[in-house]
Amino acid sequence: MNARILRYLQSDWAGPLLIIVMGGAVIAALKPTFLSPFNIQVLLLAISVNAVIALSQMIIIGIGQMNLSVGAIGGLAAISFAGMMQVWELPPLMAAILALLIGLTGGLVNGFIIARTGISAFVITLASLSIFKGINLGITKAQPFYHVPDSVKAFGNTVMFGPIPWLVLPMVVTVLLVFYLLTRQRVGRYILAVGGNLHAAELSGISVKSTIMWAHAISGILAAMAGIMLVARLQLGQPSIGDDWLILSFAAPVIGGAVLAGGHVSVAGTVLGVVIVAIITQALVLFEIDPFLVQVVLGGLILWAVGMNRIREVRFQKSLKRI
Amino acid sequence: MRFYQTNEFGLFALIILFGAFFALATPGFASVFNVFSLTRIMSIDIMIGFSMMVVIVTGGLNLAVGAIGVSAAMACGWLIEAAGVPYPVAILLALAFGAFLGAINGILIVRSGLHSFIITLATMSIFFGLMIYLTHAQAFRVIVPEFAQFGKLRLFGTVSALLIVSCIFAIALYVLYRFTPLGRQMLAAGANAAASELSGIRVDRTYIICHALSGALAGAAALMVVARNGAAIPSMAGHLGQDWLLPAFLGPVLGGTLLMGGRVSLLGTFLGSALVTTLTNGLLQLRVGEFWIQAMLGAILLFAVLLDLARRSYLQRRGIY
Repeated sequence: MNARILRYLQSDWAGPLLIIVMGGAVIAALKPTFLSPFNIQVLLLAISVNAVIALSQMIIIGIGQMNLSVGAIGGLAAISFAGMMQVWELPPLMAAILALLIGLTGGLVNGFIIARTGISAFVITLASLSIFKGINLGITKAQPFYHVPDSVKAFGNTVMFGPIPWLVLPMVVTVLLVFYLLTRQRVGRYILAVGGNLHAAELSGISVKSTIMWAHAISGILAAMAGIMLVARLQLGQPSIGDDWLILSFAAPVIGGAVLAGGHVSVAGTVLGVVIVAIITQALVLFEIDPFLVQVVLGGLILWAVGMNRIREVRFQKSLKRI
Repeated sequence: MRFYQTNEFGLFALIILFGAFFALATPGFASVFNVFSLTRIMSIDIMIGFSMMVVIVTGGLNLAVGAIGVSAAMACGWLIEAAGVPYPVAILLALAFGAFLGAINGILIVRSGLHSFIITLATMSIFFGLMIYLTHAQAFRVIVPEFAQFGKLRLFGTVSALLIVSCIFAIALYVLYRFTPLGRQMLAAGANAAASELSGIRVDRTYIICHALSGALAGAAALMVVARNGAAIPSMAGHLGQDWLLPAFLGPVLGGTLLMGGRVSLLGTFLGSALVTTLTNGLLQLRVGEFWIQAMLGAILLFAVLLDLARRSYLQRRGIY
């Protein structure tokens, strides 16, 4: 029994969960409005979109790379989604599917170039970040698409029941799908294998190139998904969607225990990382602290999380040596 | 390698080629005013490129160049406007502040043993957030007239005086890498950290100095932006200073500085940044749609890394490289 509890405590999500419970209790004790239905609804709205953003980056961290263009792909998909509904008057579902396809294409372009050339993902996604963002600005001329159908607006701003907004639904489905993919599907296992040890993966018969393309394709779809959800929430297709995703997309996975060298990510940990970020942001608002400090806190969280992960890693390696 | 096979020659030829093309295609390009504003932006982009180049040498990168630059510029504005420090002292203090922020990056990277990507991603958010918090996102506009005058100064009636500053920094960096033990140690540590450590180089200290240098150069670039605008504005490098990332990498990558570290091309970075500015300015003059410029810059970066890959594999096959 004790060993089992110990194992749970050592898992990636135990630390973040402990922080959430304790932090939540402290904030709720000081500011009872923290647990008001409205506040919980605001929290859930933020968590829904941010979790999908974080998962989009987490997949790429899993394969040991980074994707700077998550925000740019999300932004391009978002304005395409709103634009297709406004200009071509497509039904929302159709527009959403096409926007997801745009995200898929963006991810595939990234993955194809990285896999074929072997150039670092950093440089390729930095280049594609400007290309996607540039196409976004070229299409919109930096003006938002305002005419979003009422059904989409309602989806982003009404509740299913109690304080649970509808936007939670696509988030939960996405989280479960990504979890299923990484733990039960061949492609997911391949992604983690390539991230863990590229050469070993290749020698065991995994096609590294196609796995890299798969990972980037999934990342692109998830980024597009987040973009579409944000259009529903903001009620307009803003060209600046995605500009501020970069820091958050790395913060949540590393808080959740992801190893940046690849091979080890935690879906539950990442979602809890998003929850921590949302609670801190909300706390700054409730305690009327300067909202600009959110950036400082996010940066500090990343440093703290990577530092803790590093210490765990060193300790783990020491324990290996002892054996 | 023959001179005409070098990357630098290619860049130089491209600048001449595109310059001639734009001059013929649009009368505005070669006008006195445009050459002035072109060289002014060029000199700033070159400095941004240098500030990234000096950390790429170590095989790392510095995402916080924009955030550090803006922080240093705002510090300079505060020193002059609120603290009443004479401007030459304020400039030196601002550069020192940039170096200090860079050194923080370096120390965190060396002490934690983590990749510079994640550390500078975090500090980029921290530096920028603190800067906005402390300045309340307000600009310092009452900066001494000498700043704006220097930004408007023209040499030979056309070329911006800021270009001289970039040239001085380029020469100083050349001397550093070519003739000083410290510069050689930076290159050695970047090429092979383990071998350098064994030959008595203090790799950790060298990396920290590289990051401090990057911070100081980013500060210098930001001060040049202040000279151009006549004010220190918190949003001058975009959200979190992200707008500097593309120019920061375009210069060194076009210039042939290896991203793995250990190699540096000053002239290449200089010409690479100059080429990007020429292209941006020329395309704006052609009125091909200002909103498409960013997409084109991204395409240029992609094209540059692919071309470099092709060039190196060609030279390798021919056994020249």
